[in-house]
Amino acid sequence: MQDQTRKPRRSDGKNNRSLFRRTIFLMAVLGVGMFLPLIAQLYQLQIVEQEDWEKRAANQQTKSVSVAANRGTIYDREGRAMAMSATVYKLVLSPMGLYGSVDKEKYKNAEGSEDTTAYEQALYNLRKTVVDGIVDLFGYDEERLWKRVERIESGYEVLYFELEEEDAEKARTFISENKLSAALQLTPSSKRYYPFSSIGSHILGYMSQNKNSGDNKVGAQGIEALYEDLLSGELGRVVTSKNGWGMEMPSGYDMYFDAQDGYDITLTLDERIQAMLEQSLAEGIATYDIQNGAFGLAIDPQTGAVLAMASTPDFDPNHYDQIINEDLQRELDAVAEEKGKDSEEYSTALSAARNKQWRNRTVSDLYEPGSVFKPITVSMGLEEGIISLDDHYYCGGVKTVGGWPIGCHKRTGHGDQTLTEAVMNSCNVALMDIGAKIGAETFWSYLEDYGLTETTGIDLNGEENSYLWDEDTFKSIYGESSLATGSFGQTFKVTPIQMITAFAAVINGGHLLQPYLVQSATDQEGNTVFYHETQEVRQVISESTSEKVRGILEQVVGTPKGSGHNASMNGYRIGGKTGTSEKRDEDTGDVICSFMGFAPVDDPQVLVLLCYDSPKRSGPKSNYIASGTYISGGNIAAPMAGKLIAGILDYMGVERQYSSDELSGVDTMMPRVIGQELTVAKGALQNQGFECRTVGTGNIVTHQVPAAGAYIPGGSEVVLYLGEETPPEQVEVPDLSGLSPTAAKVKLESQGLFMRASGVVDYTDPNVVMTTQTVGAGTMVSPGTVVEVWFVSNIEYGDQGRLGF
Amino acid sequence: MRKKAKRDLTIEQQLAGGPIDLPFLALVMLLTAVGLIMVLSASYASAMYDLDPAVNTGGDPLYYFKRQFGFAVLGVFAMFVISKIDYQHFRWMSVFVLGASVVLMLLVFVPYFGRSGGGALRWVKIGPIRFQPSEIAKVGVIMFFAAGLSKRTGQVGLDRRWSKRTLTGRMAARLDRVGLLELIPYGIVLVVVLGVIAMQHHMSAMVLIVVAAASVLFASGVPLGWFAMGGALVSGVLVWIITQTSYMTARIKIWQDPFSDPRGDGFQPIQSKIAIGSGGLLGTGLGNSRQKYLFLPEEHNDYIFAIVCEEMGMVGACVIMALFALLIIRGYWLALHARDRFGTLLIVGITSLTAFQTFFNIGVVTGVLPPTGISLPFFSYGGTALAIQLAEMGMVLSVSRQIAAPKAE
Repeated sequence: MQDQTRKPRRSDGKNNRSLFRRTIFLMAVLGVGMFLPLIAQLYQLQIVEQEDWEKRAANQQTKSVSVAANRGTIYDREGRAMAMSATVYKLVLSPMGLYGSVDKEKYKNAEGSEDTTAYEQALYNLRKTVVDGIVDLFGYDEERLWKRVERIESGYEVLYFELEEEDAEKARTFISENKLSAALQLTPSSKRYYPFSSIGSHILGYMSQNKNSGDNKVGAQGIEALYEDLLSGELGRVVTSKNGWGMEMPSGYDMYFDAQDGYDITLTLDERIQAMLEQSLAEGIATYDIQNGAFGLAIDPQTGAVLAMASTPDFDPNHYDQIINEDLQRELDAVAEEKGKDSEEYSTALSAARNKQWRNRTVSDLYEPGSVFKPITVSMGLEEGIISLDDHYYCGGVKTVGGWPIGCHKRTGHGDQTLTEAVMNSCNVALMDIGAKIGAETFWSYLEDYGLTETTGIDLNGEENSYLWDEDTFKSIYGESSLATGSFGQTFKVTPIQMITAFAAVINGGHLLQPYLVQSATDQEGNTVFYHETQEVRQVISESTSEKVRGILEQVVGTPKGSGHNASMNGYRIGGKTGTSEKRDEDTGDVICSFMGFAPVDDPQVLVLLCYDSPKRSGPKSNYIASGTYISGGNIAAPMAGKLIAGILDYMGVERQYSSDELSGVDTMMPRVIGQELTVAKGALQNQGFECRTVGTGNIVTHQVPAAGAYIPGGSEVVLYLGEETPPEQVEVPDLSGLSPTAAKVKLESQGLFMRASGVVDYTDPNVVMTTQTVGAGTMVSPGTVVEVWFVSNIEYGDQGRLGF
Repeated sequence: MRKKAKRDLTIEQQLAGGPIDLPFLALVMLLTAVGLIMVLSASYASAMYDLDPAVNTGGDPLYYFKRQFGFAVLGVFAMFVISKIDYQHFRWMSVFVLGASVVLMLLVFVPYFGRSGGGALRWVKIGPIRFQPSEIAKVGVIMFFAAGLSKRTGQVGLDRRWSKRTLTGRMAARLDRVGLLELIPYGIVLVVVLGVIAMQHHMSAMVLIVVAAASVLFASGVPLGWFAMGGALVSGVLVWIITQTSYMTARIKIWQDPFSDPRGDGFQPIQSKIAIGSGGLLGTGLGNSRQKYLFLPEEHNDYIFAIVCEEMGMVGACVIMALFALLIIRGYWLALHARDRFGTLLIVGITSLTAFQTFFNIGVVTGVLPPTGISLPFFSYGGTALAIQLAEMGMVLSVSRQIAAPKAE
């Protein structure tokens, strides 16, 4: 024993030291060291990444129900609401909720096990109630609804997005009567209304769902899209807590964030002017057999404010995906006829048609401005002092540039002409001479100054930039012919908005202004949060040059020989320039007939551009449309523009100022002559400037046409009835087509009707013919009715540029 | 029966009647109390929604808490009873505890007694009590190892006489000298126990038994070389398992990037991190966890610490970890002062087991370690596990009774 215990005891010390050391080691590692990485990790998660995790927690633990903000209204410049929102309701079906509202537990048979048949019958009955109810109320497709009702994994099936209040009330009653609140829900949302339908549709745009917006509609085009953030305001939210199964929890965790309503936007657009412009486009298209639609603009040349902007085909923003243009619809129907409505061709054609009607051609499409560009070239020369009003130009019908003959539209040539006459004649040769004098360098720098090398920056999406020549080539010797054609507006393309912006600078004293559509934005309290001040980009030419060009342009319209004479209107001093531009990138030989006009000349209030794309030629080589109008800007666009400008100025309250000549035709009040002796009556009428004829015999006037107090154009022949004769109750309006002003006047007055002549009222020029009459032929009217009749001068020369013969 | 006077007791009995270590007891009681409160808070939602298909809570939100509380009372009672036992008796008991645990673990595979949980057969149900026999196996292994290794002299190879004439004799002597021979019985026990647990596919229990056994072996003075070799072997096996079995590879991948499968296997780790991270520095307040509302699975079992972090913030979590650290340090302190090697090794085993369990659990919950199913001592819901845990603490306290009082100055 002694021996055995002694040895271990000696080693016990060493052994125990090892035990001690190793236990201390374990204590240090397991009692302290081990916790360090854990604390480090907690620090990382709870302090460093805390916000991130908290966000994730909030995301899954809370249910956020958005509260719609009212979308701002879009007004025109006169405060007419062009786009407004109203509350509608979304009807949402929860097949999951419907499924869950039949309690399985309740359907147990005697043994306590589940009675599957009874349960399934109850579920079917409940579903049938829902389906029948919805089909009865709103006519939902029954088969489709059954399919949706049976998607029990879904809790959110939107049946209707925009139920009006009336329908929503029906749904509400249905839900409460059948206790279906677990399955059907009505949530308020808003719907956009466009009270003026298609008027201004390209500017306003429309609202649609996109892949990011979910059920909500957002602005998809135009002002609605560009100012989406401003208009939409900020959604409010109600945040409630939920558990892992998505059920709401009854805790005081609710938070409310108020919705902030969107701002109202006031446009520079005027609904009335817009309607007039659209009417001018539509009328022109119908009258002149226009194949590819038309586009036009009306701006305030002093500020750059766009008063109206339109292009066809257009659409109704209330139903933005429906085709409202008849021609487009006809093309679609043809495809549907041939391939069927389910065909791929049809859906391609449909989406192409939609894109076409959504396209705002005035900012997104390019065109060759043609002769409308000539005043810009003239302004360059005048500003540089290279040309003057006293210059004379000779046109022999053709000019050879760089070895190539470039022709004038009048092949026989215009002969000798002053600068003003050259513009009046729209002479290409003269303009090429001027272009050559200016030189490529200067010409190019003016293009830049007039803003034709960059987009205008108008507040619309999708603005295209011009397509010009290569700058270096243009300035080199190879650019000679480009300069020549460029000086009369061909072989390059600009957008209509670029063209009108540059033209505005020509006539407004040389100020290049940024065109704009949004005048101001106001919040719901009426505070103005944004106001557009006129943005002058630069001064391009001097006031005096501008004045000279205005003078020339007044002659273009004012003188009977001027190419734009059809735009002249009594009482207004209208200036302008016609254009008939070849569409050289197409081999159709089609042209765009356009007119750029402004008034009054001494203080332009409105500048209008009208373009009609491709009037249909009566034959392959014909220069006439079927109804006999010579195809040119002066014959097609100018009369429409003249009428439009006069309409706009009348609406704006700009007073007409008549020349003495025009004054004779001004409306005058008919005096009362009944009961007077014929001679006395005649004298009174002569004093007022009326002619008269008599019907019947006698000395005392018994009846008169028109009645006393009526305003009829001066110089009209009134009818006096003598003795027993009485005027007829009704008379038929005669057909005046193709008549000259004199013939038309005689024809009307023979019926006891009066003519108010508009347009080119030249009683001596045989080329002047009637185009339209406000009261259609064959209409029965009372005697004394004033019929408005439009005349144009069918001028047998155009203003086309011809490249070669 | 009247209590015997002190003078009538044997020395052993007198020693066993000494005062228990109050700081250790206080820490145990504190952790048990806090753990119960956390079970109440964490299990509230899933008890209310009656989430676990295996358990019918009847919608009683206090269901889990009540059961846990009952077992805690039982466990504390057991702890005091066990602390009264002279721990020298644990030497002979160890064989029976170990044997019984092996038998019980085999009982798992007997249809009548066995109960599956979490997709594997790991539970035994005897009467009303349902428990994992592997919990007992852990104690059994620690007791058996402590008992055996406490007799270790440190002078290996001197006690036995190996024939130097035969080759086998010389080989044996050589093996004895390097310390392999003395490890063989422990190795056999370990292999048997681990083999049975492996049949239950209970990876985490195997890991815990290995590390607890290794701690005891380590403290007992087994040459470090063996640990190096063992460590290398285990690492090699781990690397092989991780790289070669698709199951483990997927687990490691999920661990590295739980967002690669946020709705599937990554769901629990992500939810755990959301709970922890959203707690921030100070937490949402006791009882205010939002993640327990059906977001975080196992929120009252293995992932209860995530709820602790969410409700009490980093501060609260650190305080609780500090309590664990103090318990562990106090445990080793008691081991160092134990009356004999057996006491020391017993406490080292139990304390190391608790420490590793704590580390593994919090490590998994916070994402430091790849997911394994190890519960948090005193906190995780599981009545029998808590009772066994407290019984183990009773063993530590039993040893603490026989520590000589510090000499008065």
